[in-house]
Amino acid sequence: MAGLNGDPILGIDDKIEDLQYKNNNNSNEVVDKEELVGIGEESTTCYKSNQGGEKDMAGSSIHRSGSRPQLDLSKAEIQGNSEERDPTILLPNQSDDISHLALDIGGSLIKLIYFSRHEDQSVEDKRKKTVKERLGISNGNRRSYPVLGGRLHFVKFETSKLNECLDFISSKQLHCGRIDSHHWNSETPANENAVIKATGGGAYKFADLFKERLGVSIEKEDEMDCLVAGANFLLKAIRHEAFTHMEGHKEFVQIDHNDLYPYLLVNIGSGVSIIKVDGDGKFQRVSGTNVGGGTYWGLGRLLTKCNSFDELLELSQRGDNGTIDMLVGDIYGGMDYSKIGLSASTIASSFGKAISDKKELEDYRPEDISLSLLRMISYNIGQISYLNALRFGLKRIFFGGFFIRGHAYTMDTISFAVQFWSQGEAQAMFLRHEGYLGALGAFMSYQKHGLDDLMVHHLVERFPMGAPYTGGKIHGPPLGDLNEKISWMEKFVQKGTEITAPVPMAPPGTTGLGGFEVPSSRGATLRSDASALNVGVLHLVPTLEVFPLLTNPKMYEPNTIDLSDHKELEYWFTVLSEHLPDLVDKAVASEGGIDDAKRRGDAFARAFSAHLARLMEEPAAYGKLGLANLLELREECLREFQFHDAYRSIKQRENEASLAVLPDLLLELDHMDEGTRLLTLIEGVLAANIFDWGSRACVDLYHKGTIIEIYRMSRNKMQRPWRANDFDIFKERMLGSEGKKPKPHKRALLFVDNSGADVVLGMLPLARELLRRGTEVVLVANSLPALNDVTAMELPDIVAEAAKHCDILRRAAEAGGLLVDAMTNTLDGLKGNSSSVPLMVVENGCGSPCIDLRQVSSELAAAAKNADLVILEGMGRALHTNFNARFKCEALKLAMVKNQRLAEKLIKGNIYDCVCRYESAPAS
Amino acid sequence: MDHLAHVSNLRSSQSQTQISHLALDIGGSLIKLVYFCRYDDSCRDDGDELRSQNDSLCSKSDNNQPVLEGRLHFAKFETSKINDCLDFLRSMKLCLGGSHDGTAPPSDKIFIKATGGGAYKFADLFKEKLGVSLDKEDEMECLVTGANFLLKAVHQEAFTYLDGQKEFVQIDPNDLYPYLLVNIGSGVSMIKVDGDGKFERVSGTSLGGGTFWGLGRLLTKCKNFDELLELSHQGNNRIVDMLVGDIYGGTDYAKIGLSSTTIASSFGKAISDSKELEDYQPEDVSRSLLRMISNNIGQISYLNALRFGLKRIFFAGFFIRGHAYTMDTISVAVNFWSKGEAKAMFLRHEGFLGALGAFMSYEKQCLDGLMVHKMQQKFPISASSAGDNIYCSLSSNSDENGSIECTVYGT
Repeated sequence: MAGLNGDPILGIDDKIEDLQYKNNNNSNEVVDKEELVGIGEESTTCYKSNQGGEKDMAGSSIHRSGSRPQLDLSKAEIQGNSEERDPTILLPNQSDDISHLALDIGGSLIKLIYFSRHEDQSVEDKRKKTVKERLGISNGNRRSYPVLGGRLHFVKFETSKLNECLDFISSKQLHCGRIDSHHWNSETPANENAVIKATGGGAYKFADLFKERLGVSIEKEDEMDCLVAGANFLLKAIRHEAFTHMEGHKEFVQIDHNDLYPYLLVNIGSGVSIIKVDGDGKFQRVSGTNVGGGTYWGLGRLLTKCNSFDELLELSQRGDNGTIDMLVGDIYGGMDYSKIGLSASTIASSFGKAISDKKELEDYRPEDISLSLLRMISYNIGQISYLNALRFGLKRIFFGGFFIRGHAYTMDTISFAVQFWSQGEAQAMFLRHEGYLGALGAFMSYQKHGLDDLMVHHLVERFPMGAPYTGGKIHGPPLGDLNEKISWMEKFVQKGTEITAPVPMAPPGTTGLGGFEVPSSRGATLRSDASALNVGVLHLVPTLEVFPLLTNPKMYEPNTIDLSDHKELEYWFTVLSEHLPDLVDKAVASEGGIDDAKRRGDAFARAFSAHLARLMEEPAAYGKLGLANLLELREECLREFQFHDAYRSIKQRENEASLAVLPDLLLELDHMDEGTRLLTLIEGVLAANIFDWGSRACVDLYHKGTIIEIYRMSRNKMQRPWRANDFDIFKERMLGSEGKKPKPHKRALLFVDNSGADVVLGMLPLARELLRRGTEVVLVANSLPALNDVTAMELPDIVAEAAKHCDILRRAAEAGGLLVDAMTNTLDGLKGNSSSVPLMVVENGCGSPCIDLRQVSSELAAAAKNADLVILEGMGRALHTNFNARFKCEALKLAMVKNQRLAEKLIKGNIYDCVCRYESAPAS
Repeated sequence: MDHLAHVSNLRSSQSQTQISHLALDIGGSLIKLVYFCRYDDSCRDDGDELRSQNDSLCSKSDNNQPVLEGRLHFAKFETSKINDCLDFLRSMKLCLGGSHDGTAPPSDKIFIKATGGGAYKFADLFKEKLGVSLDKEDEMECLVTGANFLLKAVHQEAFTYLDGQKEFVQIDPNDLYPYLLVNIGSGVSMIKVDGDGKFERVSGTSLGGGTFWGLGRLLTKCKNFDELLELSHQGNNRIVDMLVGDIYGGTDYAKIGLSSTTIASSFGKAISDSKELEDYQPEDVSRSLLRMISNNIGQISYLNALRFGLKRIFFAGFFIRGHAYTMDTISVAVNFWSKGEAKAMFLRHEGFLGALGAFMSYEKQCLDGLMVHKMQQKFPISASSAGDNIYCSLSSNSDENGSIECTVYGT
């Protein structure tokens, strides 16, 4: 406590929390606020089940620490800000699954966006709460986040099947305007006045139907306003939103949102609008063309008898426009017109060959007609867009709208047009959520939702459990409960094979693909991707922050291995696939092995495999794909099928076994001199890191001995030199040389990895050593389970158990508020009595074996502010991710490489080689 | 005066004289022909045979007496019916077949100036059928030369066309450059012209005359371009096009300045499930197609004019062929996008720029002393009503698109 009191953050947070409980103790409003502000990953929104206890707990702790001087100040602060905050953050705790709905009802598609609260999945425990207080990151801190956490879902329906859309809304109760009317817009309390924001022509056309069927009014939002608001939001808030698409190659573009404006937004719907965007709500429609998606579809229908837009688009894949377009080569007898830079394959006149007397409409292949049309229109749009960009001196052109729908060839053609006419000076960019611009904009138009302020790091895009399975179908049925999800999964498997069959390409060497000098793209990339509107679910986690100790957050790339290398991707897919049966077994066992669990296990395996297959086909389906995402996908998938912790029992068993031998280990360590001890400790961390269920090699090891046997064997093998070995430098930093004693670190953040020996026999002793030296230690653990990684929820119990046999740990844990029982007895006197620096536990905000430091929990961010040492342990966090991360403070990266391929790639070594990488703080 | 001497020598070989005054522009859809016919020539009367008298050729040029006096004739054929063209040439005895004069030079030494892609593609055919070589001239160069010639030399060549009103524009030849020349053939070329022989193709589009005709044929079963164009007269594009009013329930989208009758999406209504191609009137389809393409060309042209700060945009090429509605649409597009600041202008001899340019290239090459532009300034050519025969049948051999009386003076 004493050590933390100087922290200004602590003061503010405490005062907020104090105020809350003091003024509103036991009132419902408190609970509401708690509900709302206590957001983050699912695990953190968890007050529901124990609100009562929580309140008591909080209340009592306030009384005990009521003498803190910040109290009055905090009151003032809250009042000053509450006016703008309250309406936005209030939510009734009982309606945890619904919030907002906005629609874009176009001529052919209905795009729907709805927002759902995070499901509460775990239980807040008392310790955690106390630790938060100690760290100065109590829930009160979250009051500064203007928006609730939750998920943005993107769904689409065909306009002609409007009823399905209405059913969906009805089944999800999305139209129940309680939240809207009561809390999001407090002036309209009446339920019957429920209003849904909508844009697009259908907002006018179908308003009556919505009223009749759902009893809600449609509030029409201006289409352009919505487009621009949607685009601005996406470009600012989503990391991998914009990309270029040239010659079948997709590349994400990092947009600095301070340097976003002005840009040109080209929305290709039935017609085309070209909008110059200068800022939020500042835009002008500068141009447009009537040759757009409607022209493609309209002419295409007349000429080919296709029954749907997607069918027409699909046809173009196999087309050769050279049979119908007049090419420069046709006019020049196969030659280029090189003088003005036109090659023989350049289209001189779209449909120019159709003037021939010899052929009638029936004599032309629909495929060729479709491709010719597609190129004519895409190319024309690209050209007019570029000319407008040029006119206003705009560097960036973003294309969106339903016409594109992620279709590779369309994007290539537009890109080529822009590149061709600008001679490479301008680039066409596309948006992953292009189809949802209008709907997003309508969503944004709800007053005071607070989304405007969302930053990139607040949003986590997750793999949707819905639409992608159907591989191009518009949407799935409304999936209410898990059971439906599973049976749908089972159905999908039957369907899936036929849908994912590869689409043949046009024969090589025809002008069809060679025109405009676009070389024949790879088959995979030319695949029709009509399902591209199936973007991921956006998780809004307003508590996430950028890890403050990163030297250069903008340049930071979490993933060490680039999965855009297809071979690498293939390798990891294989690894994950092979590991799958074992994982399913574990998962099913963790749920007692009952039939229901088996069924869920199968569904999980199918869902996960389907995702893998889709990603294999289109790695960038959900933004830039890194190993961290891939591993997180697996965990997300598990959670989706309600395997909350597949390794629970294994973790428990290993923790117990390790804790049993810990006292002996500590005794052994205490007999060593400082230098030897430090080496042994580091060796111990590396040795214990061998216990990893994520590594195939290590899983095999488990069958060969008990934990302690393996640990000792492993440590004995830890002979230096390690492959990456900065131990001596680290040792000098810790112990100094020639009698000079360096200053101990003020606060160390220890990113822990696995449960069991890894944390108990490896990291805890190291933490103990740091504590002994007077360094505050913050153990950073996962918010959600991932494999056998220890979670922030589990750690306090482990520490408490360890503390039973160790004074250092006990006093530190007490100081850090980890020992609740002890604390209740000593809290009043804590300030004076405790001479120890605290040992604390914070969650990192993620549920993956890796960590993306751009999106960490606010607790971790707060804890990092005073830290001068970061220790990353384990493959996931120190090698797969963050191996190349640079920090503002000292950093130690410790891991045993338990993967031959990674060993070769990263350190040119072998499996079981060790990495001990120390990086001093950059000179500032 | 080598050329004059040369021409004089042709007295005995009249067909060779003709050859040197025939030029072709063989495009993807049409072959355009320009040939020179001397006054007092029988061709004025029967159009069957071009006889030239070379009296005037013997005149001295330095006293500004005409070097040549006669008519420039314009004719066109469909490229797909190139044999008609070859027959025509043969029948007109424009080409040397040795029939008139056994002393004619070997045919492989006879050159006809030609431009357009077909000059490459059909070179062998001309050689084989007519025994002449095509001397290929660059297409753009010909277009520009032709346009420059017309704009400087022909009185009342350029005109604006808006709301059915045709208005001739007086162009000061000293203030002609720079301008944007938009040639709408099968495809569209947009050329920035800075002076004689000084130009750059700055843009273009593949949505051109070929698109109109090609798509039109597929959609309407029309037999030829002109029939399709004719159809569009009676059509109503609102049946096929999606208008702003269709989307916004009949109201304007005033906020962004779009009236309810603005086309939001060409052919946008054709997405309706309830109607098939057969259910649409060919007239409406043609009208919609014409508006789509004209509007698009007008827009891209304006954007390019804007980009280079050009005040004048001249539209030419066979697509327009003096068709009122086409010109109207293009004019409206330019007017709309430029907010009235730019005006579309058209040329009466729009279809023959390339052929004329090719024709002019004889002068450049041979008539060293003939300062074409000077001549043009001093002696404007009074033109016959070339642009008025809009709906003439293309396939007719004997048809001439018109002719220009002209007098060529040496200096």
